[in-house]
Amino acid sequence: MRLSFIFLSCAAAIGFAALPAFAQSSAGEVGALPAAYSAPKQAQRNPDYCINILAEFPADDNEIRYQFLRLTEEMARDMTPDFRNALDKYGDWQISADSSMLGVIEDIANPVLRQAAPEITVANMAYVIDFATICEPFISGQIKSLEAFDGTLTEASFNAVIVDDALFLRQILSDSMHRLGADGDALFAGSVAAYSRALVTTRDAAEFLSFEDELGDLEALYMDDLDGRLKRSNDVINEEMDTEVLGDAIALNDSLMEAEKRKAKERQIYSLIRILGGGG
Amino acid sequence: MALVFKKVSLQSRRLCAVALMMSAALIVTGCATTATGAKQSSIVGLNPGQPLKAQAPAGSVLAVIRYPAVVENSAKDSYYKAFENSAIGGAIGRGSEASEVEGIADSVIVKSNYFALSLYKEMAARLPEHTVLLSPHAVKLGADGQLTSEPFTKAESLPSVVSVDFATYSFPDVSKMMGSEPLTFGDLVTPLVSVRTDHIASTPTQGVLFASAPLIPYAAGNGRNDAVDSLKTLQRGQLEAGVPELDFISYLTKGERVNVAAASLRSGLKENIVTAYPVEKIKLDGVALSQLEQSNDASVDPLERVFSDAMADQIVHIINNTDTKRAVMANKAAAISSYDPSLAALTYVGSDEVDYNARLRYAERLLDAERKYLSVQSLRVFDGVHNGEMGVQMRDMILAEYDVLEERRKLARKQNQAAAFAVLGAVAAGAAIASGPSGSDCTTVECQRRAQRTNAGNAVLTQLAIQGALIATQEAIALNSRSKAIGRNYLSSIVPALEQQTSVTVDLLDSSETITAIRYEDLKSKLQNLYSTRQRSLDTVATRCGFNTGSGSVGTWMGVCEGGQANGSGAGVVQNSDGTLVEYYGYASGGMPNGAGLMLVHSASGSQALEGNFVNGRAEGPIRVSKSGQSDRIRSYSEGQDIGASSALPASPFNLSVVR
Repeated sequence: MRLSFIFLSCAAAIGFAALPAFAQSSAGEVGALPAAYSAPKQAQRNPDYCINILAEFPADDNEIRYQFLRLTEEMARDMTPDFRNALDKYGDWQISADSSMLGVIEDIANPVLRQAAPEITVANMAYVIDFATICEPFISGQIKSLEAFDGTLTEASFNAVIVDDALFLRQILSDSMHRLGADGDALFAGSVAAYSRALVTTRDAAEFLSFEDELGDLEALYMDDLDGRLKRSNDVINEEMDTEVLGDAIALNDSLMEAEKRKAKERQIYSLIRILGGGG
Repeated sequence: MALVFKKVSLQSRRLCAVALMMSAALIVTGCATTATGAKQSSIVGLNPGQPLKAQAPAGSVLAVIRYPAVVENSAKDSYYKAFENSAIGGAIGRGSEASEVEGIADSVIVKSNYFALSLYKEMAARLPEHTVLLSPHAVKLGADGQLTSEPFTKAESLPSVVSVDFATYSFPDVSKMMGSEPLTFGDLVTPLVSVRTDHIASTPTQGVLFASAPLIPYAAGNGRNDAVDSLKTLQRGQLEAGVPELDFISYLTKGERVNVAAASLRSGLKENIVTAYPVEKIKLDGVALSQLEQSNDASVDPLERVFSDAMADQIVHIINNTDTKRAVMANKAAAISSYDPSLAALTYVGSDEVDYNARLRYAERLLDAERKYLSVQSLRVFDGVHNGEMGVQMRDMILAEYDVLEERRKLARKQNQAAAFAVLGAVAAGAAIASGPSGSDCTTVECQRRAQRTNAGNAVLTQLAIQGALIATQEAIALNSRSKAIGRNYLSSIVPALEQQTSVTVDLLDSSETITAIRYEDLKSKLQNLYSTRQRSLDTVATRCGFNTGSGSVGTWMGVCEGGQANGSGAGVVQNSDGTLVEYYGYASGGMPNGAGLMLVHSASGSQALEGNFVNGRAEGPIRVSKSGQSDRIRSYSEGQDIGASSALPASPFNLSVVR
């Protein structure tokens, strides 16, 4: 139904329109999809496969490139061999070798396409997942490099939106598989159900992350505020404390001690006289 | 000859009089003691450098340190009276005036308020950030007019693995300050400590794990009262965290006593047995005291090396040996109920359902936010009392007391010397008289002259010895009375300073709590909003319904219900007709315990725990039995009856992998 601002900015950066609205406008073109989507498997065997596809990714803006890399990475999450086999069975479309990755993702998000031809959506997802799986070392390497170059890219709120976009696309895949009846398939029902559960867990985790982000801000605000107020209050109370009271008490005690000493001495002399004088 | 005898008998009479006077003097002065203390606490070296192995369950703290910080004006008379009537360490003489007892009672509070922070500092250094809180208590009159204590802050509204009660103590008789009685004055400190967990984690000891020996039955009674209160609340369908009064106050007011098994400190921690900590008078670190004398530096802590460091290690050791989940589960459920009542009772046992765990995670995170927030308050209470002018004055007061005590020690030593001289003088006089007049058997004039000269010399010597003994006795009496006067004078001089410490403590804590509470309420409401907007629905919710154990009495179940009866996980409570109170955590069906559960039974003779499988309210199969004074045992049960030992592992409601 929707893709985030981040995804839109990715698309805009590479010159594609991935807006659901745009997708809707291309609904009429469903039937006119390029007939010759060549098998990607062969392309995947090409040693330059990852390099070629990554070359299509936006290169002039680190932030957008990062978003795109993270999105593909996230789209391949929770993939099991069983579920991947199920995609092969229920996906029915061959993607042209000259298709861009963004074009494929755009098709996944296309609401008309996923309603009318869920098997194409499944095939498109399989294409992205394969790319993310095969090229994982390249993708994660580039993500790490970008994070090292710009620390702000690791911000939780920024990444939460990417995860949200990926979840949206993965939800489309899960819905498509259900629509195609994979959940009733004795061979794949388990993996389809596991994928659905994983989606819930990931969504929960993503939502929790954004909750925690919001809570963290609130927490920091209140803790700082409280700390400042308590410190000021302590300072005022401590400053108002009469520092002479204890000093006076000690001085009084000292003089009483001195008086006791004097008295004791006098008593001692008196006793001495009394005893030595025979009065004792 | 007759003259000589007359002189000797006169001297004998005089010696008798001196001996009588000296005896009286020695009875009055005694052999003066010099207020000695142990070089360090007996706890030092028991668990050195104990690393923390346990983790604070999410949303919980590991320790709350509770201490008496102030006495409300309306409660002062009751407090003084209770303090005087409940002396620890001996009988009170008739020598103390009321004002002196009040001075000692006030100084106990002021010192507790200061020295508790030493323990807090050590605990905070050992435990993860924001997992140790301070809970200063106000000693006040309860609704029933009885002396009690209540926390100033919300620190105890959060679940904690253990709570540590700390107070310093002085014997309420000023005339015994220099004796062997407990004292917190100058370089001497007598700490009173009790460490407790929730009664669910240590049922037979009513939650008490470690306590100063005189406090044990009162701490157990306090724990029992708290358990009963929380169960009554549960019976009304509410989940609320109870806050017991300070064990020290329960001791002073001679609150309810419950006898529980206790063992000495040296025997180490043992299951279902309270470790008894002796009342000990500890000497503060001399090096630290001399550092303080040179500069009043807040970082110098004379209690650290001799007590706080080791006590903090001991508490960490206790935490490591405590079932942290059980320790916090009741208070955690109570804390969660303020955000989410339908989730709260499910948390006793837990669930592996995704919706439950997702929601619990949010609730726990909110408690964590509260925990961090309240920890800021604790840190600032520490800062305000310890690092500010208050702390400076307190350290000066300790040094002034130290001077007074040293002066009295000096006088005591002189007094002992004087007493020794008196004894020596008397002995010398006695010896001179005993040697008797010589010359009675002389036959020559020369011999008789020599004997007369010797007798005259003896008479002079005896006279000198008697006079010396008298002078020394007088000196001993004078020194004794001067020492006592010094003690009394100090107590009367220091009253304004004690009053000031008290009033500043009240200002500081009142202000701290007012500032914190306003924002705490605000924070809680914001957290509540955040929670409400983010939480997902629960497939299974907790409600209130009927519960029974088959005894005929009907109780309350907070948890999963069906048809008005307990049916699923939760907690139940029921009071039988014989007064026995039964609480149960685990699985139920048809309104009765069915499945894995933990049943706690509180009767007049004590409390015990049964954990394992239950069928229609009765223990069935292998059951873990926890009783006072015994290690946990696994017994085999049939229809609620113990039929012998078992080697099988009993079921547990808290371990989801075990069959329900």
